Amino acid sequence: MPAFKAHAMQPSTLLDEQARQDFVGALRGHLSGRLMPGAYKVYESRVEPAFRARQGRAPIDQDEIRKPMTQDSFYQFWSAMQRRSQELLWESVIDPTERELPELLQRSARLRAKKIGKSGKGRRRGTLRLNPALEIPRYHRAADIHLQPGGYHTDFTTDDVSAGVIYDKGINLYMGGALGPENNLMGDTLLAYLREKHPARQPKRILDIGCAIGNSTVVWARAFPQARVHGIDVGAPVLRYAHARAEALGVAIDFSQQNAEATDFADGSFDLIVSHIVLHETSKSALPRILGECRRLLAPGGLMLHLEIPRGRTVIEKFMHNWESYNNNETFARYMTGIDLQAEAMKGGFPAADVLVDQFIPKLDVAQMNYTEHFFWKILAAHR
Amino acid sequence: MPKPKKKSTRSTPAVAAAARRRAPAHSPTAAPAPVRLARVAKGKKPQYFSDPAIDKLLWMTLTLMEELSVTRDRLDTVERLLAAKKVLRRAELEGWQPDAKAAAERVAARGRYVDRMMRAMHVELEEIAGRGMPKSEEEVVAAVES
Repeated sequence: MPAFKAHAMQPSTLLDEQARQDFVGALRGHLSGRLMPGAYKVYESRVEPAFRARQGRAPIDQDEIRKPMTQDSFYQFWSAMQRRSQELLWESVIDPTERELPELLQRSARLRAKKIGKSGKGRRRGTLRLNPALEIPRYHRAADIHLQPGGYHTDFTTDDVSAGVIYDKGINLYMGGALGPENNLMGDTLLAYLREKHPARQPKRILDIGCAIGNSTVVWARAFPQARVHGIDVGAPVLRYAHARAEALGVAIDFSQQNAEATDFADGSFDLIVSHIVLHETSKSALPRILGECRRLLAPGGLMLHLEIPRGRTVIEKFMHNWESYNNNETFARYMTGIDLQAEAMKGGFPAADVLVDQFIPKLDVAQMNYTEHFFWKILAAHR
Repeated sequence: MPKPKKKSTRSTPAVAAAARRRAPAHSPTAAPAPVRLARVAKGKKPQYFSDPAIDKLLWMTLTLMEELSVTRDRLDTVERLLAAKKVLRRAELEGWQPDAKAAAERVAARGRYVDRMMRAMHVELEEIAGRGMPKSEEEVVAAVES
C-alpha cells in the first residue's frame, strides 16, 4: 500500500497521535475485514431462518430485516464497534490538526497568495471564489456526513481549512490507504472509464461537482493539462484547503463555493462534468436538480460522468450497505439503494437514449481495492 | 497509596506578582486563544443495545483499547531507542521512582486521559443540555429524502 503523501497542507503527527491513527487502522481493518463478514453469516445462519420460521417466507427487502438484525447480539457488537471506530478515526485526525492549526492556516494563506512568477513565465495558478451568502443545503446541515464533526462546511476560525485537513487524512484512514497516496483512486477510476469508453475525448473545460478537497479534481487537471478545470462545493473550509492543497501539488484549479443544484456558470460552459461518490450525499429533490444543472452546463456533445457506489443486490447486502445511512450519517444512501439513476437523469432533462447507467471495474495499477463480484463502481453517464 | 504533600495556598504579594507575570490575561501581546475543533458529529447517535449502559461500556472499552495500544507503541519506541543507544537495559526499568516534578506531570497526564475516557458520559449531559439534536436518525433520513 503506498504511503499517504505528506504534502504541505497536512500536519505532522506526534508519537501518540501517530499511534492512535495506526490503532484506528488496525481496528477498522479487523472490523471490516474479519468481523463484517460475520454479520452476513449470522444473517444466513440464524436471522433469515428465524424470519422464515415466523413469516413462512424469505424477507423481501432490507427494511424487513432491520429489526431482527439490530436485535442480533453479534451484529449489535459489530455495529457499535464500527460506529466507535469511525468516531475514533476522526478524533485521531482532529488532534494533530487542532494542535498544528496556526501553522496550517499560515501555510494555506502563503500557498493561496502566490501569483504567477514575476517574469510571467511561471505556471498558471488556480483561483478560489467563496460565497459567504451561499445557503448550505439541508443535506449537509441535518447531520454531519460520515460523522466528521462540523461536516464540510463549518468554519471554526477565520479562513479555516481544518475541515479539509481532517477530511483528507480521514478518508485515507477510512479506506486503509486504498485510495492511493493522494486519495486519487476515485479520480483515476473515472478517468480510466473515460479513456476506455470515450478514448477520443480531450476535454478543454472540466467541472468537478462536490469536489470537497479536490483530490479527484487534481487527477483531471493532471490528465488534461490543456484543460481549464473547475471544482465546486458548498463547504468553504474544504475549498480553501482544496485550493492550498492543489497549489502545494503544483496544479492550477479554479475552485468556487457553489451549490451544484444552481451554479453561476453560463449555459454550455463545460465539455466534461464529473463527480465522485457525491450523488448519494444529496437528497431526493436535489439529485434531479443537480443532473438538470449538469445538462444546462454541458456544451453540445459534452459528457457527464458520475461515479457512484453500488448499494448491494441481495436483501442482506442492501441492509449492510445501509449501515452507513443509520450509523454513519450517510442519510441519503438508503434512498439511493432503490434508485433508478436513468430516471433521475431524465427528470433532469436528458432523453433516455442519451443516458447510460454502467458498471465498471477498472484495470488499473493504481486500483489497490480488492474488486470482487460484490464490489464494482457504478457510473451514471450522459451526453448532451 | 502515598498521600500527596499539601501545597501552601497562602497568597503573598510576591506570589501574586509572580502569578500576574505568568498570566498576562488581557495583555495585547498575549497569544490568541487556540482554536478548538469539534469532537462530536451532529446527528442522533443510535442506541445499539437494549441497555444503553452497554453502549457506553463498549465505547469506553474501545477507547481504552486504543490508548493501551498507543502506550505500548510509545513504550516500545522508548525501550528500543534506549537499548540502541546503550543507555538502559530493560532490567533497570524495574524499581524506578518518579521525583516530584515527574509525579506532578503524571498526575496531569492521567487527568487528561480520564477526561478522554469519560466522554461517553459527557455526551449524554450535552444532549440533556440540548444541542439541537434531531430526535431520531429516521427523522434525519426522512428530512433529507424529502
